This record gives sequence, C-alpha cells and structure tokens, in this order.
Amino acid sequence: MRGLHDLIGVWRRLAALIRRRRIARDIDDELAFHLAMRRADLAQDGAADPDRAARQQFGNVALLRDRTRDMWTFPSVESIVQDARFAVRTLIKAPGFTLVAAFALAVGIGANTAIFSLVDAVLVRGLPYADADRLVVLIGNVRRQTVERRGGSFPDYLDWRDQAASYEAMAAYTGSTTTVTSGSGDAERITIEAVSAPYFDVLGVAAGAGRTFRRDEDAVEGRDAVVVLGHGLWQRRFGGDAGVIGRTITLGTQPYEVVGVMPAGFTGLTDQAELWVPFTMSSLSGYALAQRGNRGLQVIARLRPGVTTDQAAAEMASISARLEAEYPDTNEARGVEVAPLPALTFGQIQPAVLALMVAVAFVLLIACANVANLLIGRSELRQKEIAVRTALGAGRARLLRQLVTESCVLAVIGAGLGLALASVALNLLVASTPLTLPTYVHPGLSLRVLAFTTGVALACGLLLGVAPALHARGGRISEALKDSARGSSGAAAQRLRGVLVVVEVSLAVILLVGAGMMIRTVSNLSAIDPGYDIERVLTLNVSVPRQQPAADAAPDGPPPPFVTPPRDLIARLEALPGVTAASLSSDYPLSGNSSAVFYAAEGDDTTAAGTRPRAYVHRVTPGFFETLGIPLEQGRPFLESELTPDAIAVIVSAGVVQRFWPGQNAVGKRVKLGSLAAATPWLSIVGVVPEVRFRGLPENPTSDPDLYFPYVDRGVQAVMVRTAVPPESVTALVSAEIRLESPDIVVYDVSTMATLVDAQTAQQRFTTWLMGVFAGVALLLSIVGIYGVMSYLVAQRSREFGIRLALGAGRAGIIRLVLAHGARLIAVGLAIGTVAAVGLSRLLEALVFRVTVADASAAGAVALLALVAIAACLAPALRATRVEPVVALRND
Amino acid sequence: MGDKARPTGELMPGTLDMLILKTLTRGALHGYGIAQHIQRASDDVLRVEEGALYPALHRLEVRGWLRAEWGTSEHNRRAKFYRLSVLGRRELARESDYWDRVASAVTRVMQAT
Repeated sequence: MRGLHDLIGVWRRLAALIRRRRIARDIDDELAFHLAMRRADLAQDGAADPDRAARQQFGNVALLRDRTRDMWTFPSVESIVQDARFAVRTLIKAPGFTLVAAFALAVGIGANTAIFSLVDAVLVRGLPYADADRLVVLIGNVRRQTVERRGGSFPDYLDWRDQAASYEAMAAYTGSTTTVTSGSGDAERITIEAVSAPYFDVLGVAAGAGRTFRRDEDAVEGRDAVVVLGHGLWQRRFGGDAGVIGRTITLGTQPYEVVGVMPAGFTGLTDQAELWVPFTMSSLSGYALAQRGNRGLQVIARLRPGVTTDQAAAEMASISARLEAEYPDTNEARGVEVAPLPALTFGQIQPAVLALMVAVAFVLLIACANVANLLIGRSELRQKEIAVRTALGAGRARLLRQLVTESCVLAVIGAGLGLALASVALNLLVASTPLTLPTYVHPGLSLRVLAFTTGVALACGLLLGVAPALHARGGRISEALKDSARGSSGAAAQRLRGVLVVVEVSLAVILLVGAGMMIRTVSNLSAIDPGYDIERVLTLNVSVPRQQPAADAAPDGPPPPFVTPPRDLIARLEALPGVTAASLSSDYPLSGNSSAVFYAAEGDDTTAAGTRPRAYVHRVTPGFFETLGIPLEQGRPFLESELTPDAIAVIVSAGVVQRFWPGQNAVGKRVKLGSLAAATPWLSIVGVVPEVRFRGLPENPTSDPDLYFPYVDRGVQAVMVRTAVPPESVTALVSAEIRLESPDIVVYDVSTMATLVDAQTAQQRFTTWLMGVFAGVALLLSIVGIYGVMSYLVAQRSREFGIRLALGAGRAGIIRLVLAHGARLIAVGLAIGTVAAVGLSRLLEALVFRVTVADASAAGAVALLALVAIAACLAPALRATRVEPVVALRND
Repeated sequence: MGDKARPTGELMPGTLDMLILKTLTRGALHGYGIAQHIQRASDDVLRVEEGALYPALHRLEVRGWLRAEWGTSEHNRRAKFYRLSVLGRRELARESDYWDRVASAVTRVMQAT
C-alpha cells in the first residue's frame, strides 16, 4: 500500500514540526560523525592533510544539511504556488471537464455556504447581547393536565427578585402598543415595552444617547413619566435630533419626558419595541400591577457567573413553594420554569436549520461523487502522462501532491462560483422566506462563513485528490506504459465507480424521502380545518382615541366619548363594495392577543388549580361568527341589544358543554367569571359554537375552551371584513373608510386570515421548499452520475458486446445485460439509502406533522428514484447494442 | 521534497534507495557504514556521494521504511544507526523484484543482435 507510506510521511513531518531543533541538531551530529570517520580513514591511509581532504570530498556541508532537513518539512509556499499554476494550466487544457466539475462543486458548496450562513446567524451568532448564554427567561407555570406555561405577576416578580440569589439582575417586561402623536407625521400606533428599571442592565445594553431608567423609576406606580426612545422612532419622528432628550412627548393623551435614545438595532426582547416606559406607568400597558393572580408579565434574568440553569431552577422551586404556602389562593400549583433565552428564541427554527444543513451536506457529497467519477476518468486518460513523468523521476508523493493540488484548485474554483451562487441564493432566501427571523439576524457571508466555505472546499479537494490516487495506486510504471494506449482500467477502478453510484443513489434516496415527508407534512397541515373559513377575510386592528376631555370636566367623571363610536364602523364597512360582512372584536384567531380567565359553571365547585375551569375570553359583535364562517351548534348569535357592558348573555364553545352538560342543550345554563363564590353576575348561555383553532395551528397550545361575550366599545379593537373579492384588494378602501372621521384613528396589523394561517406553518413550508430544491438537485446530480458511470462501463465493455453481437447475441440480451448491471448498483444504493433514511428521519421529528417515514411518500421517493435511475442506464444500454462488431474488435 | 536529491553520476536514478534498503538487511548501520558497504560490495564501482546519501536516508526514515536510533560506534563515538522496518523490507522486495525484471530486460536488449 503506497498510500500508507504517504500517510506515515505526512504524520512524521507534522510531528517533526514540534521537534525542529532536535532534528536539526541530530543532522549536524550525524554529518559531523561522518566527517570524523572519513578523516580517520584518510589518516589511516596516510593522507597528507586528512582534515582538508575529508572536507573536500564532503562538498558543501551547509547545502547538504539543508537538503537533509528538507526531508522533514512540507513543501514551501513557492513550490505549492508552482504546483497550483501547473494545475490551472492543466485544467484550462480540459475546459469541458473543468466547467462541469467546477459547476457541480459550485452547486454543492454554494448550497452549503447559504445554509451555513443561516446556521451562523441563528445558532452561532445568535442573540445580540453580551454573554447571552447567561440570560434566562423565568416563565411562571401551572401544573394542570400538563405543566402549562403562563407568565409572572408583578408581586410574584418582586418576590422572585428579592428572594433569589442565582441572578445578577432580574427584570419584568411586557409588550404593548400606544399611539404617538408627537414629532413629525400622522398619529402612529407603535409597539412599546413596559419594563422594570433593571431591564437594560440585564440585557447589558446601554443608551446610545441620554440614559436608560434609574433604579428608582419603577418604584412608585404612576410617578415617573419618563420614556426611552428606540433608534428608528427617534429617526423617523424626531429627525434624529439629540435635543429631543429632556423634551416632553405625548403618548395616548399623557405627557412623558424623553430621557434617552437606544442605539440602532435594539428592539427589545419583543423584537418590535420602539419605545420603553417604566413598568409602573401601567396606564400604558393597561396592566393591573397589584394583583398577584394577574400573570401576563415576562421576566428575564441574568444568571450569576457559574450558576447553572438547574441550580437556578431548584432555587425557584423552593421560592415557589414558599409563595404557594403564603398565597394559596393565587399560587396553588404554581411553579417557575428557568428557560435559557437562546434556546427559547431559536429553539423553533433550530430543527429546520439543522435538517437543512444535513441535506446540503448530502448534496455536496453527491456532487463530489460525480466529480470524483470525472477525475477517475481523467486520470485514466492521463495514465500515459503520469507514467512518463514517473519514468522521468517524479516521485509518487510528488505525483499525489500534483493530483491533490489539481483537485484543490478545482474545488477552489467551485467554491468561488459557489460563493457567488450562495450570495444570490441567500438574498432570495431571506427575501422570500416565510419564516419570521428576528430583526437582528442577518444571514450573510461573514468571515466565519468564508472560513467554513474555504474549509469545505479544501476538504473536497483532498477527498477528490485521493480518488484518482486510489485508482492509480495499483499500477506500476511499466504496466501503465504498456496498456495506456487503450486506456482500460483494472477491476479496482470499476469497483470504485460502482461504489460512487451506490453512494449517490443512497444519498439521493435519503434526501428524497426527507423531502417527501416534508411535502406530506405541508399537505397534512393545509388539510387541517381550523374551524373557521380562512378565505376572503381581511383582519386589522384599529385604535380609536377618545376626544379631548372638556376643560371643566371633573377629573373622576365619565371618560370622554370616542372620536367616533367604533360600533358605527360596521355599518359603514359593510356598505363598501366587495365587503359582505364585518365584525368588531377584542381579538381575532391567531392574532396572539387572546387572554384567559377562570370561570365557574353552575353546580360545579372545582377550585383546584390543576383542574379549575379556565377559558379564553373574546368580546364580539353579532356578525363575528358569520364573518368567520363559524356555525352555531346551539342557540343564536348575540343580539344588537345585548352589546352593553352589563349584558348577561354568553356564547360558549363546545368544550364547555362537553365538560359540564354533555349531551344536553346548554342554552339557558349559567356560568360566571371567577369562582362559584365570586360576586360576579351569573351569565346565561345563549349559543354554542364548535371548538376552533383560535390560538394556534395545528392545535391550540392548551385545550381550554372559549367564552364569547357581547362586544362593548373599546379604544382598541380587532376588525374583520369578509369580502366577495380578494381581501387584499379592499385594504386601502377599508382603511380610508375607518380613518374618514378622524386622522387620529390608527389602522395597524393589516393582514388576511389566510396569511395568518400560513404564518403558523411557515417553518414547515420553508423547510419543505428548500428540501424539495435540494432533493431535486440531488436527483439531477445522481442521474448525471449514474449516466456517466454506465456510459463508461458500456464503453469499457464495447469489445465484449461486439463479440457477443458477432456471435449472434440479440440486442435485447445486451440491453438486459447493461440494465442488470446498473440495476444491481441502484438496488444496493436504494437499500442502503432507505435504511439510512429511516435512521435519519428522526432529524425531522420536530418538523413533520402526522407523517412517518413508512408513509407512501417515502415509498414514492424510492420508486421515483429507481425509475429515473434505470432510465439513466437506458441510453448507455441502447448504445451498447449499436456497437459495430468489426469496429469494436479493431479498436485495439 | 527530496526528489531533486537524486544521486548523480554513478548510480542510476532510483537505485540508491534500493541499495540502502538492501545494505540494511545485514543489520543496523550508520550512514558512513552504509556508504562504505555499498562501495566495497560493488568492488569500488559504485560510490555513494554524501550529498545524496543523507537526504535519501532521511527520506526513507520519514516514509517509515527505516527506523533510526542513536548508539555508539565501533570507535566509541555517538552515531545514528539505521534499521530496516517491516514496511522497508516489503518495499525492498518490491524494488528488487522490479530491478530484476528491468535489468534482465535491458540485458536482453543489449545482447540481442
């Protein structure tokens, strides 16, 4: 085995790198010994000046020493450059080969580069905060049928903050929206965060100008009307004027003093915030701070160095137990989950990105197999050249180096093209992805990505250089010179090519099966009936401000009226052309704005936290169910007369009936908010609607039912419009109609129900789309590879076929012969690929929906590949039958 | 690398490695001893130049065909002794086999009339 010596050589030279001095000294000693021996011998022979004679015979000692030392070192940069130049010349001489090989590598390397930049941006660079691995989210939870994630309440947060020792700092925050009228431009609805003062310290982010909140600015409710502006808002409405600090701006109707501006790119943990207020200015977040049971807060904390998540979780468990003992009413069965922020942020997207990374690695391997096949063919053609060079004294290592240099140059050309491909593909990918990537994630060709690509290219180069070397290893010079004229090759080369076909087929199977599973997933997901009609529904949010209070109004008198009664909107919207129905509600499906309450049903006194009835509440106008196409199972929709704050009518979803009055008509039964003993009024059920996927697809996050209450006018509401035309087309019309009466009305979050549903399955559709592309590329590459190998094998055996034909073999027999050969290789590849696909299907577990690898989609993928692969063998097989016996026999 | 360090003059290209390997089948020897032996065994026909010998020895060592260790020479001096490794023995068999064929082929050609 020649290869072994080359490996030993590389290893020894590597090892020598750390023993350079030692080796140099040894060589000096060795040469000195030789000189001394020579001198002694010369003296014995009676030489006049043995010293001088010895040195004369020896020649240039310094040169000899250098040349001996060179044996232990790697080739110099100059000789590598020389080799590379030679390789480039060789490649230019074979432009067809070079183009095909470089393009195959470009596709493989380009796909890897593009996906790796995604990995780099999401999983390596990750969050834009210092020491982000010490950031944890404290998620208040409750033990019900399963442990359900909730949030924290302000009193709970204060207790956690004061009692826990695991954290450097802890902050509570919540996202909200408000209308800003100060600065330039129309009134604008913006996303804000109400935060406790240490928020910025926890994240390790300082203000770009001015300051963030002082520690005492979240101490007294309603006292500190200060805000920190986001960079975007500052630029947009205040022209980036530093003088805005210290000035007063109006949010809603209240004045606030600007104390600082955050640096560009900071959008808070909600990733959408443009402004921050202290938590204690709860009028903005609409949050009841004092209630321990009011759990809508997010809590973020920074672990002390060295404290693990588990340690923190253990501490939180004991704190929770203390709070549970102290406040059994509100804290029964309540715990805290300590979740690392990076995992929480990227956990969703991680499985897709990793699965895609594996997929592109396979594509690259297939591309490499193709190029290796081409290289083997080339090295056969070049056997004569190689033999001549060997005869002229080129060492084997030198030749191997030349081959590896050549394939590395090829790979570098491929990588160059691949980078260009990747940057184009990446832009397309980011522009067209249905995934909502965090705003700070910018996949791009960073230094790390370039290093990755370079590494991949060199790995390909080495791998590919070894292929022809492996193939060439058997041949000795004399043999090569002898039979190079015909360029035939030994059984080893044929076997190697067979292995390449098997590898290509099995990798393609894996990718096709993966793509098949994803396609099935998407079709399964789109087949889900959410329970409402998602076509032709426009969704938007509207903020209607109240009129300025009269100057003489009593401070605690009734609030001033809205600038326009929100409910009047419905009639106006329904009168618009193309609109068939409209409704107002507190929230709409998949808006993410639903909130839950405890309720009690007459005759049921369950109060244990684990099983206590809980439901999501929505306030809706009578047309809500019609607009969404939700049928009533029992009873009737609300009446116009019931749209008052003190109405006692309620519509429940089927889950409520199922639980308390199974099989009965629930109309007329009564429920109330809070516990049975609460002073809240009894509410009469007037209708029952089916359970719908109000809060998530494919399933609601929890199985709690819904309670629908009559709509009352609020400053902010969700509007839904059912249309007879594509819903996007009425957007401008609807917005204009809503804003007709006052420019202070803000329309925001305009979308369609179909878009909202799509967003729920973005992850799967994104993965499916890319997987499909990669599988397609893999299929194409492997077909090219199979075709190439089979053509080659047919050419190899053309003499044999000629003889067979001359001896009277039928054409069908020859075709069968070739196809059988191909089919054998393909079958082995299919078998290996299928087994591997079953193993690797686990990678997709987090992504697929109601699909297993055993599904018809996988079988379909295998069948497709088998069919296409056999078809690729057909052309060479037909060519085999056209061999002219005489020509084939003369072809020697 | 050492391919430029081929022996010149007396030796045919590629044969020095073989001669070194062959010499070492008799046991461990230092560089000077190897040169002496080749010269003596060839009746002074083949002279090994130091300029070729040491690069060749180190090349063979790097490849794993020779093992080297420091010992004491017959004149009680510290010297580097080379020994044949298993891989080296195998390589020698291959090289001498090839040599036999080439040499006899060349001879046949030269004797043909």
